[in-house]
Amino acid sequence: MHEASYKVPGGKLVKAKVRVEAGKVAEIVILGDFFMHPEETLQKIEDALRGTPADEASIERVISKSLTESDAIIIGATAKDIAKTIMLALSSSD
Amino acid sequence: MEEFRFIDLETHTAFENMAIDEAIMLAMKDNHVPPTLRLYRWNPSAVSIGTFQGLTDEVDVEFCKSRGIDFIRRITGGGAVYHDYNGEVTYSIIIPKGHRLAPPDIIESYKILCGGIVKALEYLGIEGEFKPINDVNANGKKISGNAMTRRHGCVLQHGTTLLDLDVSLMFSILKVPQEKISDKMIADVKERVTSIREILGKEVQVEELREALKQGFSEALKIELKPSRLTTEEQETAKRLAQEKYSSHDWNFSR
Repeated sequence: MHEASYKVPGGKLVKAKVRVEAGKVAEIVILGDFFMHPEETLQKIEDALRGTPADEASIERVISKSLTESDAIIIGATAKDIAKTIMLALSSSD
Repeated sequence: MEEFRFIDLETHTAFENMAIDEAIMLAMKDNHVPPTLRLYRWNPSAVSIGTFQGLTDEVDVEFCKSRGIDFIRRITGGGAVYHDYNGEVTYSIIIPKGHRLAPPDIIESYKILCGGIVKALEYLGIEGEFKPINDVNANGKKISGNAMTRRHGCVLQHGTTLLDLDVSLMFSILKVPQEKISDKMIADVKERVTSIREILGKEVQVEELREALKQGFSEALKIELKPSRLTTEEQETAKRLAQEKYSSHDWNFSR
């Protein structure tokens, strides 16, 4: 899995571990010291991301949609920050 | 003044401590217990990680095992915290959703509840201030870290206040590649984190911090603390959660 961390300016650390297959997210784990209420939403976001085209706009859209559906909020990061971290992981060599 | 149940300073394992916090929420959800403040210590000393952190990413598990330090995943977000038996006191406050001390805005909630820590520090002669998102700072450095969850119809906030700080031990427990641990990094942490003993330059005892936290929360939150204990129901739930959830590999290594 490709891995990257991103410290949100004025916020928390987001970390992503991701594997892509045929241009789509195959495996994804999102980690970090941010807050999300309700916490179970993170699992839902990961589930929703599997099969999503591995581009930043699609990923951000799926994250935002999951947050809205769960009436969830993130403190210390945004959907955009998480999408950005996932893209950083995809462009990393390890 | 509004009454809170007060569970005075107790010492438990990491698994029991996190299980008790959740057991209180579950009992409160069913209206079986009133708003509650707890003070506690961790024995063995333990490292707790935020609910979204990777255990093996954050913690040197082998080092912890070799030193008898427990490790546990919290139900709250936030970062990794080392709870040294002699170096900190943890509190938890559990209140029903909609309570005057738990407004919908999360940062505002942190600010209100962290007011108890700021007041406790004042009793000890330290000027502290709430530092969003979830810290209390003194002399511009972090002295208390806090984390909140909202579930089971309740708001739970727990947090640590540092009496002492051993940066090199912290670096051994937390996973920072050994080759990267330079004197500079240790110096950097000392620039960002402080403790009551460091600021006051004297051996402030756990008992003094306990008394200060009691006074601080009572005054800042305008609550009267009625000493009490866990109900049998809570004790049983806590025992079950400690065994089945918090000490389990599945929970602790789930990320």
